[in-house]
Amino acid sequence: MAKTLQSLSSAEERYSPAPTSSRSLWYKMRQKRLPFHFALLIYIVVTLFPLVWLLLSSFKTNREITVNTWALPKAFNLDNYRAAWESANIGGYAFNSLYITIVSCLLTLALAAATSFALARMKFRSLSKGVYSFILLGLLVPSSALFIPLYRLVNDLHLYDKHWSLILVYCTYALPITVFILHAFMISIPGELEEAGIMDGLSAAGLFVRIILPLSMPSLVTVTILNFIGNWNEYILSQLFISSEAKRTLTTGMATFNDGYRTNFASLSAAVIMSIIPVLAVYLFLQRQIIAGMTAGSVKG
Amino acid sequence: MNKALRNPWIYAAFIAPTLALYVLFFLYPVFQSLYYGFYQWDGITDKVFIGLDNFTRLLHDKVFEKAFWNNMYFLIFSLVVNIPLVIVISVLISKVNRLRSFYKSAVFVPVVISTSTVAILFGVLYNYESGMINQVLRSVGLDSWAQEWLSDPKLAMLSLLLANAWQNIGFFIVLCLAAILNIPREIVEAANIDGATSWRETRLITLPLIRPVMFVMLLLSVSGTMKVLDIVQIMTNGGPFQSTEVMSTYMLKVGFRSGELGYGSAIGVAMFIIILMMTGILQLISRRREEVRY
Repeated sequence: MAKTLQSLSSAEERYSPAPTSSRSLWYKMRQKRLPFHFALLIYIVVTLFPLVWLLLSSFKTNREITVNTWALPKAFNLDNYRAAWESANIGGYAFNSLYITIVSCLLTLALAAATSFALARMKFRSLSKGVYSFILLGLLVPSSALFIPLYRLVNDLHLYDKHWSLILVYCTYALPITVFILHAFMISIPGELEEAGIMDGLSAAGLFVRIILPLSMPSLVTVTILNFIGNWNEYILSQLFISSEAKRTLTTGMATFNDGYRTNFASLSAAVIMSIIPVLAVYLFLQRQIIAGMTAGSVKG
Repeated sequence: MNKALRNPWIYAAFIAPTLALYVLFFLYPVFQSLYYGFYQWDGITDKVFIGLDNFTRLLHDKVFEKAFWNNMYFLIFSLVVNIPLVIVISVLISKVNRLRSFYKSAVFVPVVISTSTVAILFGVLYNYESGMINQVLRSVGLDSWAQEWLSDPKLAMLSLLLANAWQNIGFFIVLCLAAILNIPREIVEAANIDGATSWRETRLITLPLIRPVMFVMLLLSVSGTMKVLDIVQIMTNGGPFQSTEVMSTYMLKVGFRSGELGYGSAIGVAMFIIILMMTGILQLISRRREEVRY
């Protein structure tokens, strides 16, 4: 201990520049960090500039975008928004997306939580081990390799062009990672509370609903965010499974709008801004949870 | 006393629905995919068994080869440009105390935006007449640098790579930053006491200790770039002249536009095997390496 202290003080002697006041030291520290801040700010401005550009464009006319590129919009008119809202049916698409996303998230949550409980807490050790590894196989195969058979299957089940096709498929492909995260959490819960519950005469289902589920809240939030964003942003399956205009989700609806309005930048900008704003608004309030939830998915790596 | 937790009926009821969905929408398609791969089939008339013909055809398919190399471009770009940039930015963020959470939130913004929206956004930015990129170039006097970013076969791939990087880098930064901030303070402090400069601290302490997260980023890059799809399909759909074709866009074209379900499935199987082999090899390499201990 003494030796450490000694080396500490000698280190200080060696590396603090002669007798300086604490204020200039602070100044030096700050100066040292300024280049870092500067570099980071440049990076962030470059990254976020496209979004600002788009926001400004969304208030301009097409002519203004080409000619007065760097000027602020002449007036903050909302014509583009009105045009995009009316011709792109963004409200309808967003509703479809929200409906599909919420239902499939809830379904995933219910199924995965029940399964994780059975696998992690119930006394069928060896069987559970097998079922668990079987479900985790799903993490290996990318859904993109299965589009063709999935498309045929959805047709055979008469689910084509029905929202349930997306709900069930989203749910299925979210199950492995959800079970993985919830199982890891539930298996770490100590057994005492459960035993108390058994004394009180709770059945397995009662233990699940009254004890394990409330304790697993943090992990339930994490997986819900992970799945919510995944489903909300999904594009290709909804393009394959849904054909009628009115049933499209926001991602496919936007892509169709993009094809039709490739040259009308003012409307296109407004449409993109409208589809981004709800996401950014939610992100603003739930940053920490969203970042934690989305990165939780990477543990499978 | 644990009778409640040994109730086989509840156990079955809790597991069966999950397994049912899983078998129906995952396992069954996996086997179907393998099965279709051995047939010539347009989805309407009867299937014709042709053995391995689809797979031998695949080996000689110039478009598939091109598509595979385009996927490799995505991977190489990710390893050479994205990951080094991610490490630099995460180290910088970890060195500052003020505004750290602001930086973290700001870099993550592109990640929460859907890929299809990002594709549309960049379609607008890359436009020749009034897109942001060309307008920026023109306003700094580089008029001749203004390009047809997405319709020039030489540039389309680069334009896609940049758009893809813009969206994905934030995710990796957050992963990498978390790993850096997880390094025990004592190690960093000990290094500082020993007089390590900021640069030496990064090179000798931080970088070696975040090797596990670098490996995770490598794995995510492999699986992400080999199945990249949305952004390519919306921005170029493989064009111009198939210069940006990737394996999954090619699979969808073969399977749905040309109606060759058998051959399309074979491409899907090939993609799966390629991803599995690449990640498998990486796992093997990493197992040989020593685990990092603090």
